[in-house]
Amino acid sequence: MSVDRADGPAAAPRATAPAPASAAEDESGSLGRNVRRKEDRRLVTGHGRFVTDLELPRMRHVAFLRSPYGHARITGVDATAARDAGHRVFTGRDFAHVVLRAQSALPSYIETDQPILAHEKVCFSGEPVAAVVAKDRYRAEDGLELVAVDYEALPPTVCAWQEPREPVHPEAPDNVLLQRTFDAGSVTDAFAAADLVVERELVTNRHAGNPMECRAGVALWDAADGKLTFWNGTQVPHIVRNMIAELMGLSEGKVRVVAPDVGGGFGVKAVLYPEDVALCLMAREMPGIPLKWVEDRAEHLLAAAHARDHRYLIKAGFAADGRLLALEADVTCNVGAYSVYPWTAGIEPLMAGGLLSGPYKLDNYRCTVRGVATNTAPAGPYRGVARPASVFAMETMFDDAAARLGIDAIEIRRRNVITPEDIPYKMPSRLVDDSGHYGECLDKALDALDHPAFRAEQQRRREAGENPIGIGVALYNELTGLGRAASAGPRMPFRTGHDACTVRVNPDGRVTVISGVTSQGQGLETTMAQIVADAIGVRYDDVDVRIGDTDEALWGFGAFSSRQAVIGGGAAHNTAVAVKEKLVKLAAELIEAAEADVRVVDGEVYVVGDPKAQISVAEVARVAYLESNRLPDGIDPGLDATTFFDPIRGAFAAGAQAAAVEVDRTTGELRILKYVCVEDAGRAMHPQIVDGQIAGSVAQGLGGALFEHLVYDDAGNLSTGTLLDYLMPTSAEVPDMVIGHVSHPAANPLGVRGVGEGGTLGPNAVLAGALRDALGIEVNALPISPASVWKELHP
Amino acid sequence: MKCAPFDYVRAGSVEEVVKVLGEADGDGKILAGGQSLVPVLALRMARPSVLVDVNRIPGLARIRPVDGAVEVGALTRHSRLVEQTHHPLLAEAARWIGHTAIRSRGTTGGSIAHADPSAELPVVAAGVDATVTIAGPSGERTVAAEELFLGALLTSLDDGDMIVRVRFPLPTRWGFAEFARRHGDFALVTAVVAEIAGSLRITLGGVAAVPQRARAAEQIVADGGSAKDAARATADEIDPTADLHGSAPFRRAIAGEMVRRALAQVGIE
Repeated sequence: MSVDRADGPAAAPRATAPAPASAAEDESGSLGRNVRRKEDRRLVTGHGRFVTDLELPRMRHVAFLRSPYGHARITGVDATAARDAGHRVFTGRDFAHVVLRAQSALPSYIETDQPILAHEKVCFSGEPVAAVVAKDRYRAEDGLELVAVDYEALPPTVCAWQEPREPVHPEAPDNVLLQRTFDAGSVTDAFAAADLVVERELVTNRHAGNPMECRAGVALWDAADGKLTFWNGTQVPHIVRNMIAELMGLSEGKVRVVAPDVGGGFGVKAVLYPEDVALCLMAREMPGIPLKWVEDRAEHLLAAAHARDHRYLIKAGFAADGRLLALEADVTCNVGAYSVYPWTAGIEPLMAGGLLSGPYKLDNYRCTVRGVATNTAPAGPYRGVARPASVFAMETMFDDAAARLGIDAIEIRRRNVITPEDIPYKMPSRLVDDSGHYGECLDKALDALDHPAFRAEQQRRREAGENPIGIGVALYNELTGLGRAASAGPRMPFRTGHDACTVRVNPDGRVTVISGVTSQGQGLETTMAQIVADAIGVRYDDVDVRIGDTDEALWGFGAFSSRQAVIGGGAAHNTAVAVKEKLVKLAAELIEAAEADVRVVDGEVYVVGDPKAQISVAEVARVAYLESNRLPDGIDPGLDATTFFDPIRGAFAAGAQAAAVEVDRTTGELRILKYVCVEDAGRAMHPQIVDGQIAGSVAQGLGGALFEHLVYDDAGNLSTGTLLDYLMPTSAEVPDMVIGHVSHPAANPLGVRGVGEGGTLGPNAVLAGALRDALGIEVNALPISPASVWKELHP
Repeated sequence: MKCAPFDYVRAGSVEEVVKVLGEADGDGKILAGGQSLVPVLALRMARPSVLVDVNRIPGLARIRPVDGAVEVGALTRHSRLVEQTHHPLLAEAARWIGHTAIRSRGTTGGSIAHADPSAELPVVAAGVDATVTIAGPSGERTVAAEELFLGALLTSLDDGDMIVRVRFPLPTRWGFAEFARRHGDFALVTAVVAEIAGSLRITLGGVAAVPQRARAAEQIVADGGSAKDAARATADEIDPTADLHGSAPFRRAIAGEMVRRALAQVGIE
């Protein structure tokens, strides 16, 4: 695939020559430019430092024994043979006193326990039951074969909308862990007044996150210091530290979590897993011996968080002119065997219900969402959380209604979409939309697609009897950078609205940023450096960024909900501004100028109107640290700051996607002729990174729409246990795409909107719409496969 | 996903391979490109006591045109098959095998011996009436490819046998069409059309446990029928099973379509 920009080539990298002092400050700086990514030297030359790369003296390797049953009582565990063979073995009994328990204050939520190693019963195929420690992974797996577990099979339930055969948790006899109804306006009256009611049952496909690097951890217990160090391929090191400390009865200062380079996360690494806790607990039993576990792909497909296994019973009422009058839905999400820590079983259902109506104006809304436990792997956050499914459901309503009312599918959207004049718009779920730029995104997307040309080609093919083409569109809103007033997660015991950042100007004038953000490939080191360099007025190359180590960074919730550019970025900016205030104050004293006249550009300090630098940042910093004799009265040594930032509210990011798709009537194959995505990322701090996020998320969305599907059989076994059966899109399957932007700054210090997930929201709806446009085929279940299309063509 | 312990022997000659396999008494496995074997070892679905590495045996990777055919040594990598020009059908089929890394390692002998019904080389071998030369305890022997394949991943090779070369007759006309979910995946259906010794053979991969001739379709073509009719006959005469990627009727239809496309390449519409 390749990516084109709808606005022509991106800004060229900036030369590093110092700007003249007279230059306006907005022409200086690195934000908005494609500066070379700081992490790329090591990542693209094979010098990345992933957990897998960590080699420590006396290291031992861990393998987990996993349940072959979807649901079974454990009647006996015998590890004698494995221990006799010299292996260290841990079983569920060893850690029976520790459980993971995801909490939510929502009234209907039923809290359940997740064991570290299952001991009473197993609730999904792949659940860890025991762990073997050995010299290497090969021997550890040999040891697994010597552990005998007796199971008494229980009837498994794998589908969330069928009667449970036997409850997964005794606390929830109907398997419902959470249910909530959103209710606004008068739905019954509105349906009565509707000229058209469309009603569908839509089922979406179960996904795995599948980052290139699977989960990984190394745990080391230092008995002398009473301190645990846990290198963990996680998106959320501070959340991990917080819970590991609590579960192990340690003070947070005695737990250090390090997320080194992490090879993709996509949400599945924002969960604290039983394997993580087991590794730490085992390490404490084996002082001084680092324990390493690197998940393999089979384990990942089996036991890392799944997502998007939903059913929508959805009904929409329309006026004859296409206005949406009412929406009613019953949404069931398969949350798997356990409520994942910390997100709970509520993460997908609540997101589905909160954002189902998307960017459309709606007064009358009733939606019941529920999270239902089954004997499948736990479901958790995955890029786009629920919205790829809910956008598909909502857009299907419009495509359906347009066809029935004889209105163009694009026109019906225009008649309902929230516009800038409606802002702030209170959605029926009471979320407040601050964007409204959907129509602009749509216009730009249709321009880039060359919509009229494809319409003409469509007509020509129809007349010539050639393979048909169809055009699909989707509009969506992505709620990003959530502050405390709209905190991510279903009323968990903490609010994730803030991050901290430390900025230090070192005695040599170079800057070290210690940020609470984490990076799984998104280039956060680069982004933080750009922000700080510009806010202080130093060169991008003179800023170093350290992330991912809880012993260094004061606080950061980590990567999820497209939050880090907004929140971590805001913290970096505000902190750098605080440092700059002191820098300016000190510099002004040293050069005997008024603070208001001082400008700092590329590491040099100028006075307005004078093109000659008066002093360098390095010299000011030297005074701050080394020459207290030159410090003016009232200024303390040092040149650093640490601050927190919370945007309070979130920033909605508008998006539109459109595609032209050809369908092969004989095989049911879809061929994407052109794919366009236009988003409002606010101010794009690094255009290439922004486009990379969009391209990657669209690719992931296309994978979900066309290929990816985790399937369990009725006995609770995963049928798609390797990448031979769980199909990921490769570069050969991802089409070229055109990416465009509308850039309306958001109300936060940098004017940015999150851009990490939105791309995943469109493809299901776009391709389903295109198929309907091409052949009138209704897509009721995902993924769209050649076999499913062929079946519709040959009923 | 790590293999169980095994012994390892790097063989210097075919005779040594046969000897070591004989001593292993059915518990030995040949390691060539490893593209099928190693995953199976990692899943512990195969637990041989000894692996005999044949990669250093000299003289086993030759591609040699002979009278009306091309002889391909067992250790020939798929990437070499793609590059060679003596046998265009073989080159085209090899292009469809997996991805670059797989083609750089995987071997002709390995693919034929593994006998995956969805793999490209077995169906081409059956399609052109290839013959397979096998070294065993009592010397060399040659069998027709169609007699070699007994079932899915099942051949008439004995425990002590090693394929040393395969002779692929050159078709006078040929067509190749394949349908897979993604580029490089094992085929849902592969159709090979090859004119050998004056008669047009139509052979399908992926629709049965072994490569299957579409004899009814062949007859229709021989009688001057259309590709469309041949496609329909193909769909009727096979009995594919359903799996995650498609129902039996879908596979029938795709098989018919692939036959139609392969026939179009030899000018039969």
